[in-house]
Amino acid sequence: MSSLLVISLAAAAVFAIAALGELLEQRAGILNVGLEGVMLLSGTFGFIAAKTSGSYLQGFTIAILTGALVGLLHGFFSITLGSNQVVNGMAIWILGFGLTTYIGYPYTGPLGLKPFPTLGGLPTFFVVALVLAVAIWFLLFKTHLGLKLRSVGENPSVAEASGISVTGMRYLAAALAGMLVGLGGAVYSLVYNPVWSYNYLQGWGFIALALVFFSLWNPFLVVAGAIFFGILWQLSLYPELLFPNIFSRYIWRAMPFVITILVFILLSTRWFRLRWGATKPEALGIAYERQG
Amino acid sequence: MRAVIGNYTIRIERRADLRWWHTVVASVLAILVSLFLVGFAFLRAGADPLEVYREIIAYAFVSSFGLPQTINRATFVLLAAFALIVPLRAGLWNIGMPGQLYAATLAAFGVAYAFGAKASVNAQLNGAIVIPLMVIAGLIASGLYGAIAGFLRGRLQVNEIVTTMMLNWAMLWIVAHMIREGGPFMGRTAEGEGFTLPTAIRMPQILGLPLTVYAAVLLALVLTWFLAKTTLGYRIRTFGESPRAAEYAGIDATRISTLVFVLGGMFAGLAGLHYFTGVPGVYKIPKNYGEFADFSFYGLITGLIARNNPIAAIPVAILFGGVSGGARFMQGKLRLAFGIDYALLGVLMIMMVAFQALAQYSVRIERAVTAPARQVGLERGESRVESPRH
Repeated sequence: MSSLLVISLAAAAVFAIAALGELLEQRAGILNVGLEGVMLLSGTFGFIAAKTSGSYLQGFTIAILTGALVGLLHGFFSITLGSNQVVNGMAIWILGFGLTTYIGYPYTGPLGLKPFPTLGGLPTFFVVALVLAVAIWFLLFKTHLGLKLRSVGENPSVAEASGISVTGMRYLAAALAGMLVGLGGAVYSLVYNPVWSYNYLQGWGFIALALVFFSLWNPFLVVAGAIFFGILWQLSLYPELLFPNIFSRYIWRAMPFVITILVFILLSTRWFRLRWGATKPEALGIAYERQG
Repeated sequence: MRAVIGNYTIRIERRADLRWWHTVVASVLAILVSLFLVGFAFLRAGADPLEVYREIIAYAFVSSFGLPQTINRATFVLLAAFALIVPLRAGLWNIGMPGQLYAATLAAFGVAYAFGAKASVNAQLNGAIVIPLMVIAGLIASGLYGAIAGFLRGRLQVNEIVTTMMLNWAMLWIVAHMIREGGPFMGRTAEGEGFTLPTAIRMPQILGLPLTVYAAVLLALVLTWFLAKTTLGYRIRTFGESPRAAEYAGIDATRISTLVFVLGGMFAGLAGLHYFTGVPGVYKIPKNYGEFADFSFYGLITGLIARNNPIAAIPVAILFGGVSGGARFMQGKLRLAFGIDYALLGVLMIMMVAFQALAQYSVRIERAVTAPARQVGLERGESRVESPRH
């Protein structure tokens, strides 16, 4: 049972780190629905780098760099060209899905490095996720930079009028978010499940995206949601631990996805929707064009 | 934005008026550049990309084996594109084609199963009764499966992208349950694939092509008429342009978003029915059913490239149906790694978005007409500020 919890926390780390990146970006008004694509690209390139060099450090570095680049690409479309952010996100997802299937295919199989060290039995990256949650909370709500980032997501023209560069802030957010999401992708492909296979991410990026919507843009709720989904995912893999001999194992695999939708429905009380509407970054998904 | 290089000024400005041919040029360029970029994959394998594309075209659009395959694949892509187009006209994203198409397929095979079709390929069944029932069951199932996302979006503001994606993965595992490891639809001999439809209840053919091919072309016309000329189509478009304005006009958000997703789901469902009950040589849920789920995303990009126009989607679908199949054929011939058609899908998508975004801008190069520099010898201390009082 405790080993189930440990591996659930390892899964939670992936959800949490990626969702924290997306949260940061959304607070600055950028909506990237292509989280899955960013994670696939960074996870795959990180995997290839780590497998060919034999070093985790190189794998993570490449993954984070890839994430930042893809984040900036999405930023370029969304910030500079000002085209529809949902379309751009879709493009990033399909790009990631298509390209990694082709590029990663020759590397199908296990990573072949010795397992990533844990921190006294706890998954290392779960601890990293906790630290990141605190850091992002601190950054967003306790620093001047965080105030600037949030103001750009709420009301960019007012922010611009008070001397904040909307474009600069949003690019910063896109790059930071890309790095975090990239790290999340690498934690999946290098630590949580270090075996590459085509489309290995199985919708985790979309679950992380859902987490951001559930969380009311609060880093700590993101981590709580990530733990919930981590446990859920592990239970769906080993249902016999709790419910032996009901349903086939394939039906269990469908459960986390069904439950994501159920959570959406259960959360959609009047109270939650009001809170959600009030917390939602006002300019989320809307390109900003400077007047004059 | 303006950049000055020597005597020339390059001016990049957002177009005030985006003409229809701007987007056509953007789409064509996106396709050409993508094919060019994917050509590097062939180059890396030591093949001449031009030669490879010539062979792809010869295989997909000329050969008597490849051409029907292209048409069948194109029909699948086209119907999947309609599944995107209808909700997108209402401003909503349906990426749930995989889930919806397998909802229809499972329902149709469920009807066949209920009639005892699993027993033998030669089962004596009355096609005139069973086939319509399969189609109806399939359309109802896929419509309902689509409706979930639309209803949740309209009623509870749940993001439809996340919902449809979750429904996709749920459905893919349900398919696995049905056809693998002793699932009810598992074939009699093969491991991990569905049972083969008896010859009596396969989709009828005209000129060697399943009826669904003709239905898809007809539907392109009907859909265009529906969206452009009917009240309901008008409401869908109004809702897509401004949900708030639509609300003031008395258009019910829940009803419209559910409706577009039901229609979208049904189109995706028809794509599934077409491929798994109609295409010669298939007639079952194959082992690699996941690849058809991925292939339906070509519908997404077809809809986007055709700018939501069902008729414009026809040539795009034919192109992609052919090129993706042909690329797969060449991949086998050249012993390339798996997934060249996936790479094309990814590159196409990003190029399409890039070119559509760039089409919003105009680039003008102007030669600066420099005024003859005035030779004003300024005295020390004299003001450089020109003012009318000087």
